[in-house]
Amino acid sequence: MIRTEELLLNVGPQHPSTHGVFRIIVKLDGEVITEATPVMGYLHRGTEKLAENLTYTQIIPYTDRMDYVAAMTNNYVICNAVETLMGLEIPERAQYLRLIVMELQRIASHMLWWGTYLLDIGAMSPFLFAFRDREMIINMFNELCGARLTYNYMRIGGVKWDAPDGWIDKVRDYVKYMKEKLNQYHDLVTGNEIFLARIKGIGAYDGKTAIEYGLSGANLRGSGVQWDLRKNQPYCIYDRFEFDVPVGKNGDCFDRYNVRMEEIRQSLRILEQAVEQVPEGETMGKVPRVLRVPEGEAYSRIESPRGEIGCYIVSRGKDKPFRLKFRRPSFVNLQILPKLLVGENMTNLITILGGIDIVVGEVDC
Amino acid sequence: MKGIVKGLGVTLKSMVEKKITYAYPDVPLEMPDRFRGIQHFDPEKCIVCNQCARICPTDCITLTGKPNPDPEKKGKVIDTYDINFEICILCDLCTEVCPTEAIVMTNNFELSTYSRDELFKNLQWLNDNNTNIRKENNSAMDKGGAK
Amino acid sequence: MESLLQETLSLKTFAFFLLIGVTTLAIVLGFVTYAIYFERKVIGWMQFRIGPNRVGPLGLLQSVADVTKLLMKEDTIPNEADRTLFKLAPVIVYVPAFSVLATFPFTETLYLADLNIGLLYYIAISGISTLGIVVGGWASNNKYSLLGGMRSAAQMISYEVPLVTSVVGVILLTGSLNLHDIVTNQGDNIWEWNLFPQIIGFIVFTIAAISELNRTPFDLPEAESELVAGYHVEYSGFRFAFFMLAEYVYVFAIASLATILFLGGWYPPLAMLDFIPGIVWFLLKFTAIVFFLFWIRATLPRIRVDQLMGLGWRVLLPLALFNIFLTAIVEFVLR
Ligand code: SF4
Ligand code: SF4
Repeated sequence: MIRTEELLLNVGPQHPSTHGVFRIIVKLDGEVITEATPVMGYLHRGTEKLAENLTYTQIIPYTDRMDYVAAMTNNYVICNAVETLMGLEIPERAQYLRLIVMELQRIASHMLWWGTYLLDIGAMSPFLFAFRDREMIINMFNELCGARLTYNYMRIGGVKWDAPDGWIDKVRDYVKYMKEKLNQYHDLVTGNEIFLARIKGIGAYDGKTAIEYGLSGANLRGSGVQWDLRKNQPYCIYDRFEFDVPVGKNGDCFDRYNVRMEEIRQSLRILEQAVEQVPEGETMGKVPRVLRVPEGEAYSRIESPRGEIGCYIVSRGKDKPFRLKFRRPSFVNLQILPKLLVGENMTNLITILGGIDIVVGEVDC
Repeated sequence: MKGIVKGLGVTLKSMVEKKITYAYPDVPLEMPDRFRGIQHFDPEKCIVCNQCARICPTDCITLTGKPNPDPEKKGKVIDTYDINFEICILCDLCTEVCPTEAIVMTNNFELSTYSRDELFKNLQWLNDNNTNIRKENNSAMDKGGAK
Repeated sequence: MESLLQETLSLKTFAFFLLIGVTTLAIVLGFVTYAIYFERKVIGWMQFRIGPNRVGPLGLLQSVADVTKLLMKEDTIPNEADRTLFKLAPVIVYVPAFSVLATFPFTETLYLADLNIGLLYYIAISGISTLGIVVGGWASNNKYSLLGGMRSAAQMISYEVPLVTSVVGVILLTGSLNLHDIVTNQGDNIWEWNLFPQIIGFIVFTIAAISELNRTPFDLPEAESELVAGYHVEYSGFRFAFFMLAEYVYVFAIASLATILFLGGWYPPLAMLDFIPGIVWFLLKFTAIVFFLFWIRATLPRIRVDQLMGLGWRVLLPLALFNIFLTAIVEFVLR
């Protein structure tokens, strides 16, 4: 037997497929990985610590920058936590607007994932297909709240802006348009034999492992565990809508892919129902001039596009939190990476990492 | 093979579809009215209440007031007003709390320069930045609402 | 041309050869420039973009600008690199790419050398380029480029085999390795081309050729998302330009070769269309193949390295061998 030396390869922090500044140190035997150590923290900004010196309203723009491809859900989780603690009543219209933007955001986020994942796998066009349609959502958000990425749209007690005239109709049109385009996506990619060969059976784990590692979102559902906070612990007004929670069977990258693609369809379904029901009315609840959150603790968790995002607030009755903690799904989901990588080859590293769908801003927070 | 052929069909068809490229630097980008761009500041309206500086999450507003030169009137007038656009995140909070709409958003967004120093904008500059001012400034929030 | 090649080398003939060489180089460079432009445009259109349109009318000078930029860039050599080999690698890659063009007959009369073993010459010479890639990957002293170089060696060697075996059918049909004879053996009508009798050979040839070209979906050696840029990670400026150039010259070569071997070279698809000059037909077929390459690139994801090997040895090679036997038997029976 010939024994060859192991090759220590530093993947990242500057590497096209680590989606930002994320680094994995891999030991390679030929092209096979024998050990992988993720190194994170390059994008750490100390959001949680900073938040201790900020009033609740001021924290909201900071949450935009955590998971920057799904800022709306981040906005919601902190608002929801504060509102729970204060026992605030949210007007109906605001609830609907929140739900609509969150679902649009989920679609946008999954689309971005789809495009970049295919880019990782080596196909160039899907990226632009996805961005063409994502751009429309971004433009709608821009019209609604004046920003394209960091929305700062929700406020404690409601939302900042009411929908401009005709905005709801735009969403309605978009849902119709997107349903058609989704089929195009499937035609372009899902049936492709090369693509299937690349991701079927790669990075598989069962539901039990997924739960043990604390995974959530599509990473959990891909392994066949039926767990979606929108269904299992409805927040906002999700209990009023009809939708399915897609689950996978084998827990490989392909199942995760399918779950995400199907979630886009389900989100469109929710939107379809929601735009028909939006009531007229206030968009801001009765909120005291100075927000003083009563003493206590609250944990709010919701289903972000990446999994369960949670916000834990400890309040000492001031206008600033005493302690704030975010449970970031990307960070937790990443923990399974070293286990999955061992024994795979270099190419699968990209497939698996991409399949987990991390956003480095959220991993490092 | 079927999947590949289907995919090839999709790309071939998309060759003739509408192009989505923005002709950006040639044609200016039209932003919707609510777009949060660089602020416009009107010293006449400002009552030096300091609310904007206090709400700013990144502490990028520095302002000083001076006593009103007109001895008849009470209160202060603004003396200096600077926004540091190196760290301003255009979050809209300052314009949201301003009780007199002295500071408002515009739709201008082109800030890139060769030097960081130029990103430090003073009262004069902010006052001159008076094109494309946002029409609708505080829709849902009542003045000085949630803080 | 033919008689000149037989003569002893004098100053006059040398000057003449040099002139021809330079002209060919200019034509090839022109092709490369516009192939890149065309590629970017086509892929742009397929992705709802406009493609290059800033430099010159319709962006026609974009590639010229890019090349100028590359030439003006600083030529960096990593400290720990093996300097001699590092400098040598682009040359080893480029020279064979250019020399293979010598034997292609573009029309009845337009060709440089009428070599008896034209096809063999192509295959033999083009194999040398692999060496350059491996050398370049190794000499850079970079782990990514080493992996890229290794992959490339493995890939090129495995696909050379089906590529060669896939054309054996054509050789059997013609009974010659001379590219000119191979074309003249095909006819004025589409059904007289080698395409249909050799359809299996053609498919194997196409797949193996794309792989030889290191283009999507077989662009593993330079897999951007895994290996950053593969074997040319450390190259910049002029040397990098040579790698790119070689790649596109091979596109030129392979497209010409496919036209010659399977698509009837300069012959029109129907005999009554032969009032159109042969060179037009040649260019049309050639462009169609180049377009196909771009089209593939815009659509397909990249294949994995072990699947690549599997495809090469387990699918393409047996198919190509089967094709040889089939052709041989049919030929035998027909005779
Ligand atoms: S937009 Fe936000 S960051 Fe910028 S000055 Fe106003 S409050 Fe501060
Ligand atoms: S909030 Fe408005 S009025 Fe008050 S200091 Fe700021 S700009 Fe002036």
